[in-house]
Order: sequence, then C-alpha cells, then structure tokens
Amino acid sequence: MTTVALKAKDYKSGVKPIWCPGCGHFAVFAAITRALAYLELPKERVAMISGIGCSSRLPAYVDSYGFHGLHGRALPLATGLKVARPELNVLVAGGDGDGFSIGGNHFLHACRRNIDLTYIVMDNRVYGMTKGQASPTTAPDWAKSKMTPHGTGVRRFQPAAIALSAGATFIARGYSGDPKGLTHMLVEAITHPGFSFLHVLSPCITFRPDQRSWKTGVHAFAEGPFEEPVEAAREIHADDGLGLGVLYAEKLPVWPPHIKPSGSLAEVEREFLT
Amino acid sequence: MNDMLAGEISSVAEFLAHALEMEVESAERYRELADNMEVHNNPQVATLFRRLAVEGDAHVEQVTRRCASIELPNIAPWAFKWTSPDGPESPAMEDLHYLMSRRQALELALHNEVRGLAFYIQVADRSLDAEVRQLAGEMAREEHAHVAMLENLLRREVDNELASPGDLDPPNMPE
Repeated sequence: MTTVALKAKDYKSGVKPIWCPGCGHFAVFAAITRALAYLELPKERVAMISGIGCSSRLPAYVDSYGFHGLHGRALPLATGLKVARPELNVLVAGGDGDGFSIGGNHFLHACRRNIDLTYIVMDNRVYGMTKGQASPTTAPDWAKSKMTPHGTGVRRFQPAAIALSAGATFIARGYSGDPKGLTHMLVEAITHPGFSFLHVLSPCITFRPDQRSWKTGVHAFAEGPFEEPVEAAREIHADDGLGLGVLYAEKLPVWPPHIKPSGSLAEVEREFLT
Repeated sequence: MNDMLAGEISSVAEFLAHALEMEVESAERYRELADNMEVHNNPQVATLFRRLAVEGDAHVEQVTRRCASIELPNIAPWAFKWTSPDGPESPAMEDLHYLMSRRQALELALHNEVRGLAFYIQVADRSLDAEVRQLAGEMAREEHAHVAMLENLLRREVDNELASPGDLDPPNMPE
C-alpha cells in the first residue's frame, strides 16, 4: 500500500517515450501524471488501458497497472476490468484512429452504458504510427498523404456530437498546448461518476506540421458546461473544432447498477447446463 | 519583457512554492528532452539538454535550501500564478524538432530562462510583502547569471547546420 504523497514524476515508469520530439502526447502524459498526483491516487488503484497507436503506448509510460490491448478494443477491455474491479480508477487512452474508426462501435456503447471510465482520446487527425494516413477526424480535403492524394472526400467524424448523442455524461475538449487547463479537465473527468470523454487536440508535428497553428486557433467554448443535452448540442453545432472546455456534465446512474443478483451461480448453471 | 505573472504573490511560502515548482519542472523537462533526443539520434542536442538538466538540479537544490523549515502551500497544478502554459522556465514540448541544431536548442533554453527571470523580476516589483520582494530580487539576480551563461554559450556556438546531412529517410517519404 502506498503511504507517501506521490509527486507527478512518481507516476512515470521510467520507460522513455519514443514519440517524436514536439509531439503533443508528451504534454498529455505530463498532465495525466499531474492529475493523478493531485488526486493522490495510489498507483495500485489506477489502471491505464489502451489499444494501438502512438498514444496507446501510454500504459508503458505510466507507473500503474496497465494493458496495451488490441487495435480499437481498449474500451471493451476497460469495461471488463471496471466491472470485475470496480474499486480501480480505470483510464483509457488512445488516438482518433483507434477510438473512432476500428473502435468506433465500442465508443458508442461505452458512452451509452455510462460505465465509470475516463476515456482520453489524443486526436491529431492522422494515423501517425503508420506514417501519416487520413483518420476519421481528418478534413475531407487534406491531400498530403499518398493514400488520399485528393483528400478523402468524406465528412469528418464529430467526436463530441457523437458522444453526446450516444449518451456520454461528461464531454470535454482539451489541448496539449494548454497543460494547466488539461490537467484541470483530467481531474474533473476522473472524478466524474460515469463515462467521461476527454477529447484532446494533440498535434502530430511530424505528419501534420500545419497543426502548429492550433496554438493560436484554440479558444474557450462560448458557454458551458451544460447539464442539458440540447444546450450542449447547440454549442457543438457552433463549434469550429478548436473550442476548449468542459462542454457537458450530467450525473446519471452508473452502470452496472448496484442490485442484488436475481439468482445464484448454481441456479444459472442449472438453467443453461441441464 | 513579457508579462509572466498573473496576480500577486503575497507570502514567502507561496513564492517558494512557485519557485520550487518552476525549477523542478524545468530540470525534469530538460532531462526528458535529453532522453527524447537520444532516442531520436540527436546526440549533440541531447548532451546540451542533459547539461541544462544538471544546471537545473543545482537551481532546485538552491530553492530547496531556502524552503527548509517553511511549510509550503499545496497549489493545484492549474493555479500557479504564471501566464505561461507550463512553468516559465520549461520549454514547451511542441517547440522541439528531432533535427534541431544546438543553436536552436540554446535559443529555446535562453527564451525560457529569460521568461523565468521576468517572473522573478515581476514578483519582486509587484508583491506587497517586503520579504517576498527581497527574496524574489535575490533569485532574479541568480537567474540573471544563468541568462548570461546561456548568452555566452550562444555567442560561442559555431553554426554547423550546413554540415548536417539532415534525415536521409524523412517521415513524409512515400510508402
């Protein structure tokens, strides 16, 4: 059992990140460790779960329990863990490709179930690990990849709008270039009872050097946080994709409900095995 | 000089909490940057950042000595009274590039050291507490010496960017 107050650096495993110098993920990693230290969470009460991608390397870098899972499958893994070990603070990390493309279906249902998870998506609007292809959040006219020389021509996935319509009870957007604000949002997300979705703009300066302009483009949401989905939807509709802040926070019953089982394991076995 | 101070620092304990956070974060950041540059095969810049981390450790020791027997307030990470996203002396991660030269790295370090100096000067100018003003003034003078050291290193730096082969396998090459 941990007894000494931990500092942010104590939550770093010592494994050296291999992200490109300048990558936004460094600041997200630092903000996570600061939030954990601020909340004084013992390492043995934290689990970091991920899928595949640059951002999904986080479980190796955070000194807590961790599982670097399959591509797009971080949320079902985390769901199973939270149901089996409800006392753990389960943080889920991934990127826009992992979370919104191959893992898109899991994203919808994690939002809908309102499981007590904190889902941090580091969105750089590109598949960086595989050398720069368009992701679900890439603009349709982004033509820098040889795979899509004329752009994808496909409308962008709207993470906040989809999280809201799927039933997420906490939705926020942060920016890696605003580590103070991001740390504050992480603390709110981790302490929110239920599914919290933290969408983080995290530039990939290697394959999307244009994202350096985010520094001057980001701005606070005009209003929020809202408790009414309709009001949050109105703000999302007016959003240019660079608004920051907690957009929506509502307290609803968390899944799974704390009810007694309707039968014993032996009874269930009899029903199915005899 | 940029405005680095948001609000006023009103006690020695509050000031030292800020100074300690700023120096610890800066030393740790340079160590991380050195590690990162090593991973990406830029040994010249990695060595420089490693040296700056060691210098940073010395600053941390100085501030820690001043903190002896003073109970520091627990300040939330987002409540520190500097205007910069991170501590004034910490280089922003997004300002790095794996092909950066020693000169660019020194310019980055100098930029941040000047911000740290500005923070101490502005605390010394604006605090209503005489003891805080005096302590911040002392630390500004120390910081001045660090700025001078970096300026000197920058003056002596020989440009060798033209001799650099760059990256023979750049990230945006077609697959």
